[in-house]
Amino acid sequence: MTFEIDYLALAPELVVAGTIIAALLLDLFLTRSKKYWVAVLSVVGVAGGLVPIVYMLAEGGTRSMFDGSYVVDEFALILKIVFLVSGYLVLLMSVSYIEADRYYQGEYYFLLLSSILGSLVMSSSRDLIVLFIGLELTTGPLFLLAGWRKGDAKSNEASLKFFILGVLSTAILLYGMSLLFGLTGSVEFTAIAAAIPDLVSEPALALSVLFLIVGFAFKASAVPFHFWAPDTYEGAPTPVAAYLSVNSKAAGFVAMLIVMYTALPGISEVWAPALWVLAALSMTVGNLSALRQGNIVRLLAYSSIAQAGFMLVPFAAAAVAGSDLAQAFSATVVYLVIYALMNLGAFAVVIAGARRTGSGDIDDWAGLGQKDPVLGLLTALFFLSLAGIPPLAGWYAKFVMFASVIEAGGISTLVLAAIAAVNSVIAFYYYARVIKAVWLDTPSEELLARPGREYAGSIKLTLAISMGLTIAIGIYPTFATYFGEASRVIATGGG
Amino acid sequence: MAEVIIFGLMALPALAGGVTVVLARNPVYGAMGLLGSMLALGVLYVAQLAHFIAAIHVVVYAGAVMTLFLFVIMLIGVDRADDQNERLPRQRQLVILGVLGIVATAFAVAFSGRFSWVIAATGERIPQATNGTTVALARVLFSDWVLAFEATALLLTIGSAGAIALASRRGKPVDLPIDPEVTS
Repeated sequence: MTFEIDYLALAPELVVAGTIIAALLLDLFLTRSKKYWVAVLSVVGVAGGLVPIVYMLAEGGTRSMFDGSYVVDEFALILKIVFLVSGYLVLLMSVSYIEADRYYQGEYYFLLLSSILGSLVMSSSRDLIVLFIGLELTTGPLFLLAGWRKGDAKSNEASLKFFILGVLSTAILLYGMSLLFGLTGSVEFTAIAAAIPDLVSEPALALSVLFLIVGFAFKASAVPFHFWAPDTYEGAPTPVAAYLSVNSKAAGFVAMLIVMYTALPGISEVWAPALWVLAALSMTVGNLSALRQGNIVRLLAYSSIAQAGFMLVPFAAAAVAGSDLAQAFSATVVYLVIYALMNLGAFAVVIAGARRTGSGDIDDWAGLGQKDPVLGLLTALFFLSLAGIPPLAGWYAKFVMFASVIEAGGISTLVLAAIAAVNSVIAFYYYARVIKAVWLDTPSEELLARPGREYAGSIKLTLAISMGLTIAIGIYPTFATYFGEASRVIATGGG
Repeated sequence: MAEVIIFGLMALPALAGGVTVVLARNPVYGAMGLLGSMLALGVLYVAQLAHFIAAIHVVVYAGAVMTLFLFVIMLIGVDRADDQNERLPRQRQLVILGVLGIVATAFAVAFSGRFSWVIAATGERIPQATNGTTVALARVLFSDWVLAFEATALLLTIGSAGAIALASRRGKPVDLPIDPEVTS
């Protein structure tokens, strides 16, 4: 029995894993005031993970390992870039926040890095076991991180809600997987896809597919599996909420897409309507609930639920209409890339703004633009981008989404497009409300009297990177299109 | 056929154990339900010829982990006076019946094949457990699934590191900071 490991293909994971170990060891030898060096190491390590990815992208080709259960193709590489870059930004915005918080720092970075590693593993997985472990490695640390501010009852509540519902959804997901394995006799996606046509009339198959969707939809916090999200985002440390809304959501999404696309295309008549409903509900419920939020983190939580609905639209539409799924795939990935950048930017603004105003209530942010014009501008920039206003990146995400829906054609997809259009308008209202508070409302005496503290360099860097990319993609969207096009090349393994 | 019967015999206690865990008011009963569920699952593993998994399952989960559970339950809570009433009717008779049953089964197994009324499995009817042996398992675990295996190891490390970080208090309890950033 021979088996080989392609170390280049595994290099990003190995670099991050090495960083994890180094971070744990370094943490051991640092005094309390020097702990930020662990953050520095983590940031460098995550950036280092990008190097082999860029090399492999330049080289092209598909690398497959472990009998095709671990595949490094362009799709996986693109997603790894998304996960690493957003992880990088979250690490940056964590530094000053965690330092000010007086809780454990070394372990925080250890857990965050482990979660990033999990999402890297997940994007390459082409069988149920590796996919499951990758996904658990992504979400497992977050149960702990959500409760990191352990002196705060809200943080405890956040962690506990997330954990209990998370474990429940994991159980459902596993049940679906075991049914699928029992029916098809295989855990590998290609083998499952090959076995599906003989089993289409089997009711247990439909059940297993629905269970899988429930499990993934929970991770992606799509309605009606979103109940944990607002409370968890609000109670968790803000950088963790940012991570939850981007990386962990994307991980659930990507896992769902990989499984549906590579393992279950033969039974799309079961999951396509389910995804359609998920998309429509997520957009509508997310947006309508966001309208009534007074707390900015909760507002972003509901907005991210709605954005998950938008993200699902192309794929659900294409599956329902029976058109080319690969096209939908690229639209969803483009949306994901852009969403990740602008949403992380928005969360960085929240961290900075909460420091400036001392509050997370939108009403208390009144007049922030007068107090701190740069932050006010950034607030406007990221929230307008989330609303989809040109020339910021968000418009292109929406454009790609609608374009792919119209291309798919069919009545039901057009209904979905109409729902998405109405929701875009609703979303604009509550994003604009924040901007109105920041620029048009009169600032309170209290806010004007607050000392204007200098921001940490790391948070400035986070804002600069996400702002630069948001504007760059908005003006030159071909850049994002490259991500979409490359992600079409999803290899199904096969070994 | 025999497999279906074994499955039925063991699936029912496994489910009943699970229901007990959820419904039992007394945590000790809950732990016992979990134990029963695990033992039944162990038998199911044997029926699937996964002998190694079955052994590990019983030794590690039913043995070590459950003992730990019971210790924790005893340490944190069962401090009310022991209830000495026997609430199970006819306990002693049931025990005697059970012991007799076990002895009879042991005899039947020990002397199987020597009496015409005990049907013995012939050599070729006992399937070889080729996939469930330690060697076969190790081979798969450390070749095809080595990545998943290592990732699981990390998952366990995360669990312990996170639990320590969340649960421990160094020195005197810190006056817990009200977060200066997001108060809402």
